[in-house]
Amino acid sequence: MTLLAEMALDVKHLCQCATFWSLVVGVVGLCLLLPARRRFGKWLGGLLLAVAAGLLAYDLPLLGDWLGQSLYWILAFITLGAAVATISSQSPVYSAIWFATSLLGAAGLFFYNGAQFIGVATIVVYAGAIVVTFLFVVMLAQPEGHSAYDRLTWGGMPKVLGVVTAGLLVGILMQSLDRLKREALAPVTAETIAVTRANLAGEGGILNPKHMATLGRHLWTEQLVSIELAGTLLLVALVGAVAMASFGRPRLGDRIDEALQITPAAQTKDGVIEGVPR
Amino acid sequence: MSEIALLYNNLAVGGVLFALGLIGFLVRRNMIVMFLCAEMMLQGIALNLIGWGRYHGSQVLPGAWGGQMLVIFIITVAACEAGIAMVLILMLARKSGKLDSAAWQDLREEGVPAFVDRQVPEERIEDRVWPHLTPAGIEPPHDPEEFIHRPRV
Repeated sequence: MTLLAEMALDVKHLCQCATFWSLVVGVVGLCLLLPARRRFGKWLGGLLLAVAAGLLAYDLPLLGDWLGQSLYWILAFITLGAAVATISSQSPVYSAIWFATSLLGAAGLFFYNGAQFIGVATIVVYAGAIVVTFLFVVMLAQPEGHSAYDRLTWGGMPKVLGVVTAGLLVGILMQSLDRLKREALAPVTAETIAVTRANLAGEGGILNPKHMATLGRHLWTEQLVSIELAGTLLLVALVGAVAMASFGRPRLGDRIDEALQITPAAQTKDGVIEGVPR
Repeated sequence: MSEIALLYNNLAVGGVLFALGLIGFLVRRNMIVMFLCAEMMLQGIALNLIGWGRYHGSQVLPGAWGGQMLVIFIITVAACEAGIAMVLILMLARKSGKLDSAAWQDLREEGVPAFVDRQVPEERIEDRVWPHLTPAGIEPPHDPEEFIHRPRV
């Protein structure tokens, strides 16, 4: 099936499209909400973003059952709302904590899609390790917390241009998925739902109780070379990080020489310095 | 549950997450926040891949597990990237004393004017709010003589 858009973009359809208006309102709200020299639009920006989220949720096709639908909306709201708070909070510590919240929401969405292992790995690796490392670096490098460059960004115009660029990107992506959306809006029979459900829950399916076993089998048979490569990559990154962190520091012997203030007269003729263990 | 609708929802949420990360990377100046936003973009892509994997699984198409495999490798590469980025940021912060990426604008292209902050705002009092830990447990009884004699000093 082809997924790309077949409908030409015209003004009438654009004005009737709730996603378009959601993007417009969201862009304005984000411009107000992002850190600026003067903050007057914090509440207004939040309100506009809430309106944008509502419009987007209104335009998305419904999943079918109300329990799953409301769960999906709650998880998506947590993910996107915490992401907005990440990029708009003025302290990097709060940014990191909001990012961890956004990761929890994303992990919930992974669980919703049946990817159990990825959900747990996201929480453990991202929220457990990466965000904590980020927080360590914030504490090491910026112990005073707030700083001026967090309160003012690159200026008004670059901020607006960046937000508009991202809004255009989402708009183009949504437009290119036009045909998929019409298929999603078409009514689905109970038989189709039962068939897809059986496909997913069947042998080797994602919703099968043997999810982890199947994932491990795929990982260690088809992707064996990739797994070895990924492990090698982790090792190389570890060695590289240690090498870069210790680069540029004076060695122990040099520091001892400096401390002893060695003069040329104190050296013997074969170059070995007396009294300093080598 | 309609699988195509779920796929479309996943693609929309993943795309918006990617766009939010892109905005943060373009707009923010703190190097830590910039790298957090790079990770956020990766999360959006991971959501897309998992949505496609589930859709392929529901239609008995090949590659139902390929999305999850790719996300596992994305997480691996993101962990490597975070480790290297932390070291680089620490080195840069050690040299310039701050996490501002504008401190390294000497690396800009030839002929581009330097970026100067025109008006640095004052910090407000309500920004100086830090998280509070909830008091837990009971305060142990103090020995008043210990305060007077300070036997451990």
